[in-house]
Amino acid sequence: MRTVALREPAFPRHDWPAASIGQAGPATVDVAAGDREPLAVRSPVRPRDIALCLTAIALLLRPMGPWFVRPAILAVAVLMILSPAMLRSALAWSAIAAMVAVRIADDWPLADNHIYLLGYWVFAIALSLRTAGGEALAFSSRWLIGLAFAFAVLWKVMLSPDFIDGRFFRVTLLTDARFGDAAQLIGGLSAGQLDANRKALQPLPAGAELLDPPAIVEPARLRLLATAATWGIVALEAAVALAMLLPASMVRSSLRHVALLLFCGTTYLFAPVAGFGWLLLAMGVGQLDETQVGLRRAYVAAFLIVIFYGEIPWAELALGAGRG
Amino acid sequence: MKMLAPALLIAVASTQIALSRTSDLTAWKGGGFGMFATLDHAGHRGLDIVVDAPDRSEQLQVPASIELAVARAAAYPADWSLRAVAEAVVARERRYQRPVSRVTLTFWRTEFDRATLHPSERPVRTFVYDVP
Repeated sequence: MRTVALREPAFPRHDWPAASIGQAGPATVDVAAGDREPLAVRSPVRPRDIALCLTAIALLLRPMGPWFVRPAILAVAVLMILSPAMLRSALAWSAIAAMVAVRIADDWPLADNHIYLLGYWVFAIALSLRTAGGEALAFSSRWLIGLAFAFAVLWKVMLSPDFIDGRFFRVTLLTDARFGDAAQLIGGLSAGQLDANRKALQPLPAGAELLDPPAIVEPARLRLLATAATWGIVALEAAVALAMLLPASMVRSSLRHVALLLFCGTTYLFAPVAGFGWLLLAMGVGQLDETQVGLRRAYVAAFLIVIFYGEIPWAELALGAGRG
Repeated sequence: MKMLAPALLIAVASTQIALSRTSDLTAWKGGGFGMFATLDHAGHRGLDIVVDAPDRSEQLQVPASIELAVARAAAYPADWSLRAVAEAVVARERRYQRPVSRVTLTFWRTEFDRATLHPSERPVRTFVYDVP
């Protein structure tokens, strides 16, 4: 039997320590076997490739931008998933970065923050692919996540007086339809109370004032939920920011990943921004080395869990079950 | 090279904070990572549009055709974004052959009482556009 490479191995064996994978090497075929189907062989993959692949998948899961960039972003993302050469093409990632920049500029300032972070991330990918190792990508990932979370904490703690005093979540749990089910399920509000509160929170025209404004009903559980959300999110975001930005000598690598996974595992159960979660998880994988197999699996599992969080109306289903 | 992307993030986020403090850019937008940090967002901001002409003074509901321009102006009520709304209103009124000599835009935001949560609408900025 003579073995020949079917094509360029998608993820070359020499880049990957065998002990850390436990999978087969490059695809091979028995040429004496005629036209029999070649044996199915799984290619070993590097964490960087998984990070890039998850980023491409995130681009496909939430198509974005105006008509003149959206199809191109989707097409390049599909090609990246199909072709390892495209996945590792600095040019292709540079093109994605440019299109994300166009998407942001097109309706500035309306793009959400994770689109900016996506732009920085794909730009960092493009730059890292021009260098030899994966260290540049891991470095960028740490700094980008750390800085994004540091700015998020800055806004919540220093720049927004209505966050730390609890008003943000007290009002948002009542007025934002995306949190309505959680307000009922965890906060203990009835549907009628929620509806009445929403009406009471409608502003009157400037200068107008009701003689007897309706009271807003906030059961103790709802206040507790608002308080827990306020301080919980600050604690989680601060933990991620510190874990990412402190020098490696002060924070163990595994702690960084635990903080990020904990943030994604809890926040995106409630926060309706799965796209942000997928991006953070893809970036987290970008910091892994070949020996961190367990964490790699945890990130992929978390990526899938965030899909389920976003697609299953769990709070609505639980509310329905509770009502019998 | 590897600091380029983080440096870009710092530059954009710092600019966003500056614009937010000086020009009412909402914390939720502009790349400063202020989402889910304040009630000052699109759901609690708005723009009132009043059209004046001889024998006419009318407050308009935001028509679908200019929703994007209004959303942009509500997120960042700068001269250029408010002027874009006013010009779009004038163009629309002319399409329907309605007279218009002045468009007055009032940008407002809702504030919630710290204790009772009772809302009040506070006008923040008025922009007057005289049709040339």
